[in-house]
Amino acid sequence: MNNAYAAFAARRLVQALVVILLAYVFTFVVVSILPGDPITNVLRDPQNGFSEDEIRQIIAAQGLDQPVLVQLWTSLTRFLTGDFGLSMRSSRPVGTLIAEVLPSTLILASSGFAVALVLATGIAYGTQLVPKRYGQGLLRGFPSLFLSVPNFVIGLVLIHLFGFQLGLFRVIAPNSFWATVFAAIALGIPVSAQIAEVLIANLDHERAQDYAAVARSRGLGPFRLFARHLLKPSSLPVVTIIALTLGELLGGSLITETVFGRTGIGSLVQRSVSTQDLPVLQAVVSLAAVVFVLVNLLADLVYPLLDPRVKLVGAASRRPTTADDGASQAVTP
Amino acid sequence: MNSRFALLTRSRRRVLMSGFAAALVAMTALPAACEAGAPKNGGDIVFLIDSLGGTWIPNNSAISSFQGHIWGHVTDKLVYVDADGKVSPWIAERWEQNEDATSFILHLKKGVTFSDGTPLDAAAVVANLDIWYAGRKSEGINPIGLFPKTYKSAEAIDASTVKVSFKAPTLGFIPTLGYHGSILISPKTLAQPASQQADLGKTSGSGPYVVESWKEGDFVKLVKRKDYNWGPAAVGHTGPAFLESITYKIVSEPSLRVAAVQSGQADVAYNASPQELKSLKQAGFTIATPRYLGFVNGWAINTRLEPYNDVKVRQALQASINRQEIIDTVYTPEWKLATSFIQSNVPGATDQSALLAYNPDKARKLLDEAGWIKGANGVRSKDGKPLTLTLYSNPYLATAKAVDELIAQQLGKIGWKVFIRAYDVVTFGEKVQFGGPAVPAYEVTRSFIDAGTVASILTNANNGENWFALGDSDGKLNDLRDRIAGAGTTEIRAPLLDELQRYVLEQGYFIPRTQIVQRIYVQSPRLKGEVYNGIAYASYYTATKGE
Amino acid sequence: MSLLSPTAPVTTTSRLAALKVPPTVQLSFVVIALVIAWSVAPGLFTSHSPINGVPADKLLGPSAAHWFGTDHLGRDLYARVVHGTSSSVSSALIAVVIAAVAGGLIGLLAGFFGGWVDIVLARLVDVLLAIPHFLLAVIIVTALGFDTTNAAIATGISAVAVFARVMRAEVIKTRQAVFVEASFLLGGSRWHILLRHVLPNASRSVLPLAVLQFGLSILVIASLAFLGYGDPPPASDWGLLISIGKDYLKWPWLVYAPAFVTIGTVLSLNRISRWLRQTD
Repeated sequence: MNNAYAAFAARRLVQALVVILLAYVFTFVVVSILPGDPITNVLRDPQNGFSEDEIRQIIAAQGLDQPVLVQLWTSLTRFLTGDFGLSMRSSRPVGTLIAEVLPSTLILASSGFAVALVLATGIAYGTQLVPKRYGQGLLRGFPSLFLSVPNFVIGLVLIHLFGFQLGLFRVIAPNSFWATVFAAIALGIPVSAQIAEVLIANLDHERAQDYAAVARSRGLGPFRLFARHLLKPSSLPVVTIIALTLGELLGGSLITETVFGRTGIGSLVQRSVSTQDLPVLQAVVSLAAVVFVLVNLLADLVYPLLDPRVKLVGAASRRPTTADDGASQAVTP
Repeated sequence: MNSRFALLTRSRRRVLMSGFAAALVAMTALPAACEAGAPKNGGDIVFLIDSLGGTWIPNNSAISSFQGHIWGHVTDKLVYVDADGKVSPWIAERWEQNEDATSFILHLKKGVTFSDGTPLDAAAVVANLDIWYAGRKSEGINPIGLFPKTYKSAEAIDASTVKVSFKAPTLGFIPTLGYHGSILISPKTLAQPASQQADLGKTSGSGPYVVESWKEGDFVKLVKRKDYNWGPAAVGHTGPAFLESITYKIVSEPSLRVAAVQSGQADVAYNASPQELKSLKQAGFTIATPRYLGFVNGWAINTRLEPYNDVKVRQALQASINRQEIIDTVYTPEWKLATSFIQSNVPGATDQSALLAYNPDKARKLLDEAGWIKGANGVRSKDGKPLTLTLYSNPYLATAKAVDELIAQQLGKIGWKVFIRAYDVVTFGEKVQFGGPAVPAYEVTRSFIDAGTVASILTNANNGENWFALGDSDGKLNDLRDRIAGAGTTEIRAPLLDELQRYVLEQGYFIPRTQIVQRIYVQSPRLKGEVYNGIAYASYYTATKGE
Repeated sequence: MSLLSPTAPVTTTSRLAALKVPPTVQLSFVVIALVIAWSVAPGLFTSHSPINGVPADKLLGPSAAHWFGTDHLGRDLYARVVHGTSSSVSSALIAVVIAAVAGGLIGLLAGFFGGWVDIVLARLVDVLLAIPHFLLAVIIVTALGFDTTNAAIATGISAVAVFARVMRAEVIKTRQAVFVEASFLLGGSRWHILLRHVLPNASRSVLPLAVLQFGLSILVIASLAFLGYGDPPPASDWGLLISIGKDYLKWPWLVYAPAFVTIGTVLSLNRISRWLRQTD
């Protein structure tokens, strides 16, 4: 077991590194085929009055006249040493820009995740405990509803209802406690749907198992059955969901930050997109990939230790589950 | 050397007089304020703004519609230009120019310092003039766009006297010193490399406020400088500012900015949606829609493209636009009808309204004459080609898309087929250029301080921008341009400018839409006494906040 | 349809049994039918023009004459929603087709051939998965240029990985099934097995996913439009309408009407997807 685990861990580690490098190259390719060229665009602004010769010199000075592969190599080696270069838009180091906004996004994402987890477990456990005639169906409908509402609409409604009508928080101080809470709710609602779907599917699955039937036949009520037999096995997949929703949280924060006027990674991306600030976009996407891969790696490494039933057949056979997988999972007999 | 300036020219004398008049106004205004009780000191305000732009390198950001607000409080200028384009002294106490406007002498106010302690003396002004003209291109520090390209050199004659020389007559030099690009920055900051200049917190100006803290994409907080006492006399106050601090805070949604001011969470909202202004005004909020000195919002027509190479089609376009309906639908009565292709408050602007009247019958007749016949689907065509117009909504004007859609409806009635393209700022800059091969009409939003610079932009002489893609083909326009550039006094220039405006509109080279209000302010009634300068920026240097 | 594959007789019977369609699903089908009708023949549902309005009638509230009120240029909002349906629906369709075809192909090849093909394709999918899909869509739409079709392509590419993964898992499962092994032993060619057995079976679980993804794509494209990466005016995609409406929050129907239509459509699609899954 130990040897097998070590081999498994080593294989996953190598895979993770490969994925990170490939993700960097992939982003570089997508970003470098962007049609606009912000640098020459700024330089050619007639108000600046640069001659063609001067423009060439400036571009050469920044290494932008090199072949793409050479640029990729320079940028990749710099990335590996932790240097992201200078932002084209603000002329400030990309590392500094990201470091400035990262804490705010981390706070939003973690509180969004907390909201999602509370909502999801509430709904999922509710489906097991609330009898059919008291609105279990309604509870089961929530994930679907949550997945159908664009989170910018949730954000707009929350801001107007709680920010302006009820005056619960100052909209212009988006980092205050209450503003963060409401932003977290807007971010957490769609994410909670995904977790809830997986949880419900797992609970239903466990409930249909033989041991649950046996327990029921022994006269165990729904609550005790749930508490004693269903809660633990169905909660394990949450470990992998944490890793998976990371991407959702980051993607969602892009919109939530815009709607709530928070500064963060999301608003940084938006500003960088509108000015095609390539070094910043490259750095953010690469970092997101790094974080995602590392967290998933961690989940993969921890999971076999938590659940002895999992066979170590390699990561590919046990990819973490999404909402859509929740779909495929339910189909699986 | 100095003997050249011994003779006071008429224009120089007048400039001095106007400065003196402004000082006089200031002196009479001040006691009045005192009688009403001294202005209240203290108070903090929050100003909500769409964006704080990209870089903070002073040269690259000074003309930004967003960063300009901060620079206006953190820095001073050599001269002050008010909302009517009147020039008055500021850091330059007085100035002289030679007969043909190729050489100027600036006399600086003494005792002015930057916030890093460096004196604002002649050497500092020379350093600023040099970087405004040339920038440091290899580092990515751009020159100031509208700074005269005819600049030759500047030298410090003594600690408080600067002599500036030009290669050709440059009547616009003094007004340009009051332009929002011409901000005085400490020479210590200017000596820093671009990446250091990009850190706003490390930049020193001589203005009434200094940057206390800032965060990229979030806010900039300014606090007042206690020892400031060199404000422009024209605003009626020269001592330290009254308000303790001003915080510029980014809130990107216009409706949120307004709602925050309405609910008392902030004091000023920038760029509100025009539709909301009426009810805000009724609710007691102060609405300001100052017009900057510059071009009106309108199109520069590409005369190289079919069918706009035909003057009749251009004239038909001029007559097909119902400008009053634009103001009634998209804007409010605070917006003014265009009377020329430059804003009516620019000195030298003349009233050409007759050329801009809505006259659909005239438009139809002109198009019929030009051979564009209306087909069954309501679209005119000629030789099988439909009459089309592609509009590129200007990303710098929030209402541009709505106006484009409305104009598309108006032109549709006459027989045009209109397409609208909307790009982000970068793509717009990339794909949409004056006279570009697919750009029949370029939507202009551009400010300037001195009308003398206008003519040279329109053609391609002297690095001009060749707005109508005429090159040097229009002899009359070239002649007007040269005579305006060579004019040594405004008296000679005025009739030439009038002729230029009439000619450009008659030919349908420029199609005005409305006079432009690029900056809209919604302000809490508690905040009073702000001043708007010639580029429509609000200055809170003179403002006070009541209970 | 491939759903009625003879290799899965159980499905046929369960489907027959499920013909007693639950009322919520019936309602969902009605909603989707209406949306399809709007997108095919918008002219039948409204006589107002979505492009030319009456400027004097701007910003009117909902009424009998204007069901959803009018916008800032006096255009009927209901007409704009109806006429914007076609573009909203077809762009989501483009996204799903791209994701399902590309993802399905990758998953099919990886699952069926295994070995190094699987390893290479699995890394590719991992890379696509590692980048948050909305971020990926934003970057791609920036690369392609801002309009609705490009937003659809970007949304499609960002969902490729999801389809690839599900397809791969299904293919592996089917390949190991008894009847496939039997077919293989009987001398069936690889391609025959792939087309005859693996594909029809695997597509059974891809269909509900595609329906679900269809709804999600509507949301993603709307979000991209909300951030300003959609079509220029006078287009009236639902996301664009919400995005325009948020600038006029004093007239809330400009946001709520298109938002409710969007939510209703996506919710219906989700319900149908769930029902497809359960009846299978």
